[in-house]
Amino acid sequence: MTVDDRKAATVEETRPDRSARLAGLIRAARQGDEEALGQIVTELSPLLWQVVRAAGLDSRDAEDVLQTVWLRLVAHLDDIHDSGALTGWLVTTAKRESWRVRAVGRRQLPADQELFAELPDTGPGSEEQVIVDEERRALWAAIGRLSKRCQDLLRILAFTPRPDYTAVAAALGMRIGSIGPTRGRCLTKLRALLAEDAAGGAQ
Amino acid sequence: MTPPDPRLPSADEPLDAADFGLLDDIRGLFEAADPMPPDLPERIRFFIALRDLEIEMARLADEEQLAVAARGPEQSRTITFDSESLTIMIRIDANKDGTVRVDGWLAPQQRREIEMKTSADSLTVTSDEQGRFAFPRVPRGTAQFVVRPAEPGPGGAGRSVVTPALIL
Repeated sequence: MTVDDRKAATVEETRPDRSARLAGLIRAARQGDEEALGQIVTELSPLLWQVVRAAGLDSRDAEDVLQTVWLRLVAHLDDIHDSGALTGWLVTTAKRESWRVRAVGRRQLPADQELFAELPDTGPGSEEQVIVDEERRALWAAIGRLSKRCQDLLRILAFTPRPDYTAVAAALGMRIGSIGPTRGRCLTKLRALLAEDAAGGAQ
Repeated sequence: MTPPDPRLPSADEPLDAADFGLLDDIRGLFEAADPMPPDLPERIRFFIALRDLEIEMARLADEEQLAVAARGPEQSRTITFDSESLTIMIRIDANKDGTVRVDGWLAPQQRREIEMKTSADSLTVTSDEQGRFAFPRVPRGTAQFVVRPAEPGPGGAGRSVVTPALIL
C-alpha cells in the first residue's frame, strides 16, 4: 500500500475551472482591481516561498524577494494572459531574484542535510498516525538522499497547482512529453529509493 | 549493486496517480518543515496597494518588548522605523477591551498627517508641533503607517514615508 492509497480523495479543482478563474483574475488585476490581484498573491505566494527558500535565502531575504517579485508582476501584467504563463513567470522571476540576492550577499547555502535529519511535526496524530509517520519518515529520508537539484525541483513542483505543471516544469527545465511533463529523473529516483527502502524493511 | 527493478517506473512516462500522491505528501512535509509566515500574503497585498504613491520606505530599526509591571502581564512594544528624512517611533499598549493604543513620535519634530492602514479600514490623525500623535483604540491585526507629505498640494515638498506592515 502506498501513501496515496490511504489518502482521502480530495476535491481537486479541474483544469478548466481554475484556469478560467485565474485568467479572469489576471484580466481584472490588469484593469486595476486590487482585490483580484490580492487573490492571486494569496494563492501563489506559498509556491514562491518554497522557490525562494530552496534557493537558500533566509526568511527576511525571502520576504523581500517575494515582495519584489509581486511588484514586478504588476508591471508585467499586460504580457501575461493565462494561469500557466503567470505561474511559470512567477517561478522563473523568483528564482532569478533569489540568485541575485544570494550573489550580492554571498550567503552560505543552508545545511540541507540538517533539514532532513528530523521528521517535520505536522500536528496531532490520528489512530493511523504511527503507520503514516513511518511512511512520512521514509519519504522524508528518501528526499534527503536525492541530489539538491532534485530536492528543489520536487519541492517546487509539489506546491504547483496541477493545471500549471507543464508551465512550471518547463520553467524548471523538466522534459515535457506529448501530454504534459514526464515523470523525469527525480521522481523516478525517489520512487526507486522508496521501493528499495520498503524491500529492505520486509526482509 | 542490484539490477534495476523492472517494475519501477520509467522516467519518460507521464506523471501518474502515484507521482501525484507523492507530490502531495512532499508538499505536506515541506509545509511543516519550512512554512511560509501566514501573514506574508496580507503584508504583500498592503505593500502592492501603496505602489503608486511617491514614497520613501522606512525600515524597521529597532524593536523592544517592555514588561509594564504596573499593568500586570501586559507588555508594551516600542518599535522604531528609520527612513531617509524621518524617524518614526511607535509604542503599542494593550487596552482592556482587546484593542490596542498606539502612541507615536516623529523626529525631527513636525506636524504631519499620519494614516494608519489596518486590514479593516484606515484612520488618519495629525501630529502636534512636537511630532507626537496617538491612535487611542485600534483593532489588533496588520497595520501599516503612512506619513503624508509635509506640504501637500501642487508644488508641495516632501514624500510620503511608509513603514513596513506590522502585527499589532
